[in-house]
Amino acid sequence: MTAPMSESTRTIEELTSADYEYGFSTDLETDIAPPGLDESVVRLISSKKDEPEWLLEWRLKAYAAWREMEEPDWAKLEIAPIDYESISYWAAPKQKPVLDSMDDVDPDIREMFDKLGIPLHEQKMLSNVAVDAIVDSVSVTTTFKATLLEAGVIFCSFSEAVKDYPDLVREHLGSVVPVRDNFFAALNSAVFSDGSFCYIPKGVRCPMELSTYFRINSMNTGQFERTLIVAEDDSHVSYLEGCTAPQRDENQLHAAVVELVAKDRAEIKYSTVQNWYPGDENGVGGIYNFVTKRGRAHTDAKISWTQVETGSAITWKYPSVILQGDRSIGEFYSVALSCRRQQADTGTKMIHIGKDTTSTIISKGISAAHGQNTYRGLVKILRSAENARNYTQCDSLLLGKECGAHTIPYIEVKNPTAQVEHEASTSTVGEDQLYYCRQRGMTEEDAMSMIVNGFCREVFNELPMEFAVEAQLVGISLEGSVG
Amino acid sequence: MTASPTAIDPAVTGRAAALDWVELSGYPTRRNEAWRYAPHKKLAELSFGPPVALTTSVPDLGDLIPALDGPRIVVVNGVVNTELSTMTGPTGLHLSSLLDARREQPDRLAVHFDRVKSQISDAYMALNIAFGGDGAVVRVDAGATLEVPIHIVDVEVPDETRNASCTGVVIELGAGSSATVVETRIGVGADFGGSNIRTTITIADDASLEHVLLQNVPASHMHLSNIDVTQGANSKFLARSFNLGASYGRVAYRVDLAGSRAHADLSGLFFGFGDQVLDQQINVVHSAKNCTSRQTYRGVLDDASTGIFNGGIDVLPGADGTDAEQSNKNLILSDRAEVNTQPRLEILADEVACKHGATVGQLDESAMYYMRSRGIPAVEARRLLINGFADQVVDEVSIESVRTWINQRLGHDDV
Amino acid sequence: MLHVNNLTAAIGGKQILNDLNLEVGDNEIFGLLGPNGSGKSTFAHALAGRDGYDITGEVTLDGADLLDMEPEARAAAGVFMGFQYPVEIPGVNNMYFLRTALNSVRRARGETEVGARDFLNVSKKAMDLVEMKEDFLYRSVNAGFSGGEKKRNEILQMAIMEPRLAVLDETDSGLDIDALRIVAGGVNALRSPERSMVVITHYQRLLDYIKPDFVHVLVDGRIVKSGDHTLALHLEANGYADFENDLGDASEQSFAGAQS
Repeated sequence: MTAPMSESTRTIEELTSADYEYGFSTDLETDIAPPGLDESVVRLISSKKDEPEWLLEWRLKAYAAWREMEEPDWAKLEIAPIDYESISYWAAPKQKPVLDSMDDVDPDIREMFDKLGIPLHEQKMLSNVAVDAIVDSVSVTTTFKATLLEAGVIFCSFSEAVKDYPDLVREHLGSVVPVRDNFFAALNSAVFSDGSFCYIPKGVRCPMELSTYFRINSMNTGQFERTLIVAEDDSHVSYLEGCTAPQRDENQLHAAVVELVAKDRAEIKYSTVQNWYPGDENGVGGIYNFVTKRGRAHTDAKISWTQVETGSAITWKYPSVILQGDRSIGEFYSVALSCRRQQADTGTKMIHIGKDTTSTIISKGISAAHGQNTYRGLVKILRSAENARNYTQCDSLLLGKECGAHTIPYIEVKNPTAQVEHEASTSTVGEDQLYYCRQRGMTEEDAMSMIVNGFCREVFNELPMEFAVEAQLVGISLEGSVG
Repeated sequence: MTASPTAIDPAVTGRAAALDWVELSGYPTRRNEAWRYAPHKKLAELSFGPPVALTTSVPDLGDLIPALDGPRIVVVNGVVNTELSTMTGPTGLHLSSLLDARREQPDRLAVHFDRVKSQISDAYMALNIAFGGDGAVVRVDAGATLEVPIHIVDVEVPDETRNASCTGVVIELGAGSSATVVETRIGVGADFGGSNIRTTITIADDASLEHVLLQNVPASHMHLSNIDVTQGANSKFLARSFNLGASYGRVAYRVDLAGSRAHADLSGLFFGFGDQVLDQQINVVHSAKNCTSRQTYRGVLDDASTGIFNGGIDVLPGADGTDAEQSNKNLILSDRAEVNTQPRLEILADEVACKHGATVGQLDESAMYYMRSRGIPAVEARRLLINGFADQVVDEVSIESVRTWINQRLGHDDV
Repeated sequence: MLHVNNLTAAIGGKQILNDLNLEVGDNEIFGLLGPNGSGKSTFAHALAGRDGYDITGEVTLDGADLLDMEPEARAAAGVFMGFQYPVEIPGVNNMYFLRTALNSVRRARGETEVGARDFLNVSKKAMDLVEMKEDFLYRSVNAGFSGGEKKRNEILQMAIMEPRLAVLDETDSGLDIDALRIVAGGVNALRSPERSMVVITHYQRLLDYIKPDFVHVLVDGRIVKSGDHTLALHLEANGYADFENDLGDASEQSFAGAQS
């Protein structure tokens, strides 16, 4: 008779080693820069994009800073050295220069997005989601722009924003993540190619979900996109982000920066389903995902990060909130799955500055096969933050003997009125749970999937309904919308 | 190695390598996780070297230490004081100074001195290996059950040399034995100085040790404790630490549950006033199957003091069936005080149940209100609540006179 | 419908069931009684297919060999087990769980799956049967349920799964009198010509509400006595001591009469 644990181990391996569905690549004619990075490459990128002088200066400053910085080594990640000279810092699909309508999108690109389940025809789309589609480094199209503009909402590629709304970009770019913030943020600031820009004017509740879909297609290219969301006083926006990449044997670098500004009483909800190619079961290939995400919440503002991180060979990201204004709220809901040889070191930082600020952290880590999963978080209550509150819950699920789960929280409190509570647990899927489900007729795979999904429930509940389709990407499919 | 008539002194042989280590690796900085919140500038003002002889008369220990029946070893400024020490004890107990043990049984001290590079955690440990020539050795024979506690007292009387004494304590429990050891660290005078004491504990299979650490050196001192424990199968280790004194008081434990079904229970209280920085660094390593561990730490921080708790549970591959718990709760009593807590879990095994929790908060206002509405003055109510919080650790100590001594230090009169 | 032939079960080398023989016909309810540790739950798990037992003998349901099947295949073949300790599954809502279970079984039988709306209708009826409120469906499976709620949930599941053979393991344990009435009412309502039930219990209390066609007494892994429902009353009056003594005195004695 099979030993109980080995059976469930086998199941989770079958469950998690399902083929990466999005591993295809598309032959697109691509404009690509030669590998390597120096000042001239930064200038090339800037000129390709026809950027104003101030932005070039900003990039050069970042590049100079990056040259002086060292790669961070504190994360619990074993990473083969990254050769920054072998990476190409600019790749863009060649296509017609001007898009008069959606139908002008290169048919090959359209087909690629159709295959990914993200139709770019407005009439085919979910009527309440606008999409900015980014291939390699460049935004190829943004849907529903006109509809959004009627409401006063600006949603466009970063490049367009630089041209059309230079003052807004200049005011907020780098205001939350400064160029010198960290090695990868500095690199991104020097060479970022495109990304999404979103502006919600005062008092406006964005009429639809905004979404950016990232796709890495070319070989040997890094992807460095930059997202900036500014929500003016009393505004509200929900933003979704999805990512996939072809299956390739080389590691590819993705170093993104996301900055959120939530002004007084504004609310930004930012959701991510990250499913970059994770590498194969021997750890060959996969995306290196180094991302800096941070938001600044002003008085009575709320920033909520939800992430489902299932892809990438390496995940290094800590979506954070600076709780600057009084009564501001920060939230972080995360599911991170590490299987194959994946390594994830992810968590959040909640920096409490304002009075009566509140933060909530719910993190669910799942480790399977040879995966290593680390929650790393900082809760910092500064002296000024009277009556700050934090609640943190970190749960880890271990599925197998070769994987690891780590919880490394930092809690720093400088105010006696603070109340900080941290709870963590590590467990495995119970044999009795599996047996109970199987007695009711479910296969072991379905039972495992259901239990793992139940473990993640609190986080999945935070995902917008429109993202349920996307969440199927996680391989541990979301349970039905019943209930 | 062939036996030679003049035994090789482990402290001398290890010295060069340890000093090389310091030369090569330097002193810890903020970048080292275990030293993230330590006052590095102030630590750099200490001088480390061989013991600096006492220039004044030996202080009266009197109320400075708890009154315990039984044998004791007193170390003054890095050197064992035989007049103050009582080396004889019950059958099955062998006490000696570390200096004598180095001469007579150097090989038995390998566990304390023979540290390969990877086992040296930081420069202060290396300096202790280099200069920690004297101290206490406690050996308990297999099967012996000692009814009286063994008291090891360290007294520091610093002078203008700003010296930090390096000493060592080696505790060895034979299979199936049981003992209680109380280590009290105190000092006299207002001069700046310190102590850097390393304790190496080996608990054989089925043995059981209660180890109490009372750190109450003057506020002008800095104090570094490093306690390294290796446990055999079915053994039991109870650690009770009270980190009360020093401008910087550090208590670091590394407990290796190396034999299956071993149990470690660590609890500690840190209670800071003035601008004290009280640092607890706890690492419980589960390297064998079916071991259990529990960590219970309570911090109370008043004035401009800082409390640090960095507690880890490491479950190594193969340590299946681990059951580990950790709890750190902190009370901040002043708007200038601060707490940094880092409860870590690192799990690399299967069928593991681990949990930890940490809280930072203030006195329960509803409890305060409730007591005051019953006529208890605010000051008294506050004191009662703080005592109740600290008692969660104090009550874990089995020796009544030690509990009394702690309560007196904390200003509790109700025991 | 169910034939149990020389069934033995051991766990970790310890023999729990000894050459158990049993026949269950269509539309029968029989009570399986016995003292603690007599092997009642093991018998239930042996039918349902829990891992960890060393099992020999033969068990067939409608001619199909159960012992060769995985637990989910046995469920598809029509075996339903009401757990003595229903398992908590945090985060998975009850309705989703039930619909997945029902559709898994239907799929395995080559039947069409039940859509969300139809399922809601099916479950409403079942809920009335066990006097549950609708919010019950939206809570996590058994998580935070009281003892009585858990047992009612088991009956609810039985009502929805419509099994061929239901094995109810100490469904009455931990129930107050109201919950007992509800549970028993549910069981009685689910009697059907196409269904048989094995009601395992320690006390005969439940059998006041569910009148069994036969009663078997299990002691030390063997059936030591069989009879009609009056046997249960006898047990209530005299306890199991008679049988335990019998067994001790005459362990070689055959209880072939256990077959019904």
